[in-house]
Formats: sequence, structure tokens, C-alpha cells
Amino acid sequence: MLANETIRHPDGRTSKVFRAGQGPVVVWLHGPHGIRGHDPVIAELAKRHSVVAPLAPGFADLGELDAIGNVHELALHYDDVFAALGLEAVTLVGHSFGAMAAAEVAAHFPRRVARLALISPIGLWLDQHPLPDMFAVPYMTIDTVLWKAGKALPAMADPADEPNNPVERQVAIAQGLTTVAKFVWPLPDRGLRRRLPRITAQTLVIAGADDRFVPAPYVEEFAARIPRARAAIIPDAAHMVPYEQPAEVFRLLEAWPHPKGKAA
Amino acid sequence: MKFHWFHLMPYPYLPDRFRERYPSVWVDLPAGEVYDPVRGHQVYNDYLDQLEFAERAGFDGLCVNEHHQNGYGLMPSPNLMAAALARRTSKAKLIVLGNSVALYDPPTRVAEEMAMLDVLSGGRLVSGFPVGTGMDTAFCYGANPATLRDKYREGVELVLRAWKTRKPFAFNGKYTQLRYVNPWPVPIQTPHPPIWIPGGGSIETWEWCVANNFLYAYLSYWGYEAGRPVMDGFWETVDRLGADRNPYRAGFLQFVGVADNDADAERLYAEAGEYFYNRCFHIGAGFYSPPGYSSMATIRRGVNSAVVQASKHLRTASVTWKHLIDDGVIIAGSPQTIADRLNDMADKINVGHVMLLCQFGNMPMETVLYNTARFARDVMPKLRDRFSEHEDHWWPKTALDVQKPAPVSIAAE
Repeated sequence: MLANETIRHPDGRTSKVFRAGQGPVVVWLHGPHGIRGHDPVIAELAKRHSVVAPLAPGFADLGELDAIGNVHELALHYDDVFAALGLEAVTLVGHSFGAMAAAEVAAHFPRRVARLALISPIGLWLDQHPLPDMFAVPYMTIDTVLWKAGKALPAMADPADEPNNPVERQVAIAQGLTTVAKFVWPLPDRGLRRRLPRITAQTLVIAGADDRFVPAPYVEEFAARIPRARAAIIPDAAHMVPYEQPAEVFRLLEAWPHPKGKAA
Repeated sequence: MKFHWFHLMPYPYLPDRFRERYPSVWVDLPAGEVYDPVRGHQVYNDYLDQLEFAERAGFDGLCVNEHHQNGYGLMPSPNLMAAALARRTSKAKLIVLGNSVALYDPPTRVAEEMAMLDVLSGGRLVSGFPVGTGMDTAFCYGANPATLRDKYREGVELVLRAWKTRKPFAFNGKYTQLRYVNPWPVPIQTPHPPIWIPGGGSIETWEWCVANNFLYAYLSYWGYEAGRPVMDGFWETVDRLGADRNPYRAGFLQFVGVADNDADAERLYAEAGEYFYNRCFHIGAGFYSPPGYSSMATIRRGVNSAVVQASKHLRTASVTWKHLIDDGVIIAGSPQTIADRLNDMADKINVGHVMLLCQFGNMPMETVLYNTARFARDVMPKLRDRFSEHEDHWWPKTALDVQKPAPVSIAAE
């Protein structure tokens, strides 16, 4: 299990941050599955880094979203977390919904983020390339559309860490996807496209070649709108690319240049 | 007991092999490909004739409801249908079991239109406020399922406050901000028409209905035996909150087919029943329950909505008349058979307001009228006294005797 600590926000709310590993700090913003006890991506990052992984508000308790009405308040929430942990000019890596949140943080608070990796980022809508509806499958079967194999890796199959409690498993998935829905329903467009040019971080955009929710035109659009961005599309992977092709994703992250004069 | 004639207004020309040809009757069934508006003209007029006939037959209320982008519910605006009925009926109450308040910005639109109906009908309105299904709200109207119920509650609160206050006030809500809330007209009924909440088994809704003295209407498509867990949950909530077990607090929807005997019922109603359950209820599995639509408490209680139940029943084989009868989904047979079953329903789920589907699927006009007339003539009298010891506080009781205005003769002279 990962170590965790509780952050107190200025308005009195609290939120949870998981930690693992030693070394330069990397902040990980998770995707639609939340943070599980044995997350292979966090484990890999922790081999060389001190991983700080905030649990997105809503994933543990939907009541946490009462105070967070929109993506701007979500960005403020993460700014609170960074302030509480004394994080400036960090390396921020986000996946899926977490990548959208990471892009919002980097656009709202450019000084907080020196390096930004957006893996399978959602948050844009291009009329010329309409996306399928991530929510038009029963949410308990969402893995069938997120993974190239149509099912989750065994290590990622149990969100509640309670494989013998199907009700709590359903609640865990429902809470996570309700949180995602709150910020992307009915279309994943809250104006992020207009804010992307504010990002000053050295940015890497990564997606799986078979990701139906982040197809190539979306990767290109993120890279085109962010001033210092590079893009990579990884074959034989879908929306869960950091779990499906971890070696290639980590090779890209390790080879990723540091901004001049900034520590990783 | 009171008896209400409920129309879903299904489109009766859904094509053969519907389940193989289309993924869903709801949300994304291509409108221009399947719906023929010229046939639709006849369908709407037939359906309104049926509702008007039900009043003459002796039903207490006429029910209309709200669905969107739905091949079995052609009433995106139940208010339009109720308006048409208001002009051509005079006794039956108009039970509008939509408006899904969260879909209207500002929600005072609902206060306005409901009040128009109450005034137009002479105080005959029952005002229903459903959350709306996930299909209607989240998928068809783009409502955010994460905030839908919160927005809905706030909207209902605003409508009721407007009706009770009846003078201008400012409303600073989370979802609606209005500097001047002052909807015209105001309803005839004071402080407002009875509030009915069509529900599907969400536990917060039970508490909310009891705490606010709203009627809870369970619109189940699966018969009263299948509906028992939900109604039991409602009555347990009534007990827990210290309210009385007045059966008129609750309503229940039931399909019926009156005939001379069981064989006759099958001859008359089997095709329409199978049409409804195989075509009208063929709903894309992904649309049943968007994340957030059901609260975590409701998931933990394990109560599924009527449409989720439907998905379980209908996931595989096609439904047959025998299945519908054996499972108690449709109650059909002789008047005595139906009266016995409805008495059993009254014993088991304690509902004073029974909403009957005498039309379902592609039932022909003459069969609808026959079913309606026989239910009113041969079944209703057997059940009329049931629950007569209770007072119905959830029913319009306009004191003033509102007379329907005599038509003005407009002659071309």
C-alpha cells in the first residue's frame, strides 16, 4: 500500500495525497480509475522519483465536489495542494481526466509547473473529429472501451481494493466516473482550448494509437496550442497507454528535456 | 381507490425485427428514419381521443408524462397534451407526471406552465415533478448527472416557493439566480396543486416525499410483485419518519387487459404487450444509468430503477405473453381476475392511486376503447370502496365550483 497524508485547504476542507519513492518530485494526477493500492505506473515512477499523487476530489467522497463547481475551482484545489506541500515549478504528469486537470493547473498557474506530461488528455472537442461517448456504455463496463484489450490489467481491475465486495467496487467506480462526468458532461469542452496558450511548461503530449477518446487530431491540437509542446503517439495501446505500454511511456518521460536552469 | 388512465403515447409503427435493427428505442433512434409525422398526426389525435374517452368512461385522472427522443413516449412536452385535454374535458383531473424541473432554465417556466394548466382546467391539475430518467436528462438534454438531483431539488424548491409566496422575491440558488421571481399566472389551487413525485427507487426521494408530504408514484413497468422492494422501502421510510400509512400517499402504475377470460385476453392484448416489451423497451444498455444518476446510498441499498430492472428482464430472449402474465407484468383476464389481483396489490403495496395502462404498444383503437370501457364498468365498481376510510390529501379539492365557460358562438354573419 502507498503512504498517504491529509492536506488541509484554506477553507477547511481536506484532501488526500499518496506518496511513494525517493528522488526529484513528480506529481501524478490519476485517470478515471483513481489511485489503487498497487498502481503499476506509480510504482514505476517511484523507482527514480518522489511521487506525489493527490486523489482527485470526489473519488473518495462525492460530497467533496460540493465545493468545486467547475474546472477553475478544480485548478484552485490543486493550487492549494501544491501550496500546502511547498511545490513550485514541478514536473506534473497527468493521465486522462488527470491530464485535463494537469493542463488546467498549468494554464491557470503557469509558475507551478516546469514540465508537463499530458498522457491521453481529454478536455477538447473538435467538430471536425467528433468523439465517441465514453459514458454510453454501462459504467461498470467502462474498461471495455478504455483498454485496447477490452479489459483491464489484473492489477487495475479492483478499484476498491476489496475484490470480494461487489457493491463497494461499484461505488468506487461510480464515484470516480461521476467526478469525471461532472467536469466533462456532456462534451469534454470547458474552454481548455482557449487557455492552453497560457502554459509555459515544457510539455509532452502522449496518446495510444488506438485511443478512441484521444485520436491523433486531438493530440495534434494539444501540441499546437501549447507553446512548447511535443507529441508522441504510441502504437498498440489505447486510452490506458501508461499501463498498456509502460516501457515506451517511461522511455519518453526519461528522455524528456528539462527546461533550462530548472531542476527536475 | 382512485383510478387514473395513463398514456405513454408510444409510436405504434416501430419496424419489425426492431431489436436486431436498432441499438436503442431511446436517445439515438434516428428520428427521420423511423418516425413518420403524417402517421404521427393520426396517432396524436387517436391518443387524445382515448384520454378523453377515459374521462367519459369514469376514470378519476388522466396521466401524461415527459420523455425525450423516445420511440415509446411521444410527449416531450406533456404540458401541450394536458392543455389540449384541459379544453375537451371537464371532470377528470389532469395528472402531469413530468415536468423534469432540472431541464428548464429558469425552473419558473415550469411554475408558469403548470399554473396555466391549473387555471385553464379550473383547478384540476396534479403537478408531477420527476427527476427524469438518465436517458431523458443526461443523454438527451445534456444535464450533468453529477449535479442533476441537486439542481432538481433546488428547482422544485423555487417553484413551490413561487406558488406559496405569490409576490416578487429574489432567488440566489446554486443553479438559478433570479432577481425577480414572480410568475404569472398563479394556480387556482392554494397554496398549489398536489405534488406527485414519480420515482424509481432512489432512497433520498422517499425521505424527501414523506418530509414534504408529496405523493410518491412508482412508475414500474414490471407489476406490483416486482415493485414490492421499492414500495416496502417507501413505507418503511413513512414509518421511520413518523408519518401515517395513508395509501393515498402512494401511486403505482399497472398494465391491464380486461377480457371475458384468460384466452380472450391473450387474443386481445398479446401482440400489443409483446410489442411494448420487445420494441418499446429495447433501450441501449449504456443509457440506463449514467454515473452519478443514482446516489451511492441507493447503489448500496441495491434498489434498481425500473429501467435497470427492464434491462435485466430483457437482456436476452424476446419476451412472450406467457412471460408477461406469469411474472405479473401485465394483469389480464376477466374483470374478477383483475379485481382480485388489484386487491392483492392493495394488500401488498398499499397504494390508493392506481395508474392504469389500458393502452400499450401498438394496441388498436377499438381495443383500447374496449379495455377502457370494460375496466371502468366491470372492474372499478368492485374496488371503489377500497381505502374509503382514508382521506385523500393528495388530490385537487378546489373549493370554488369552477364552471367550464360556455363556448361562444362565433357565427360568420
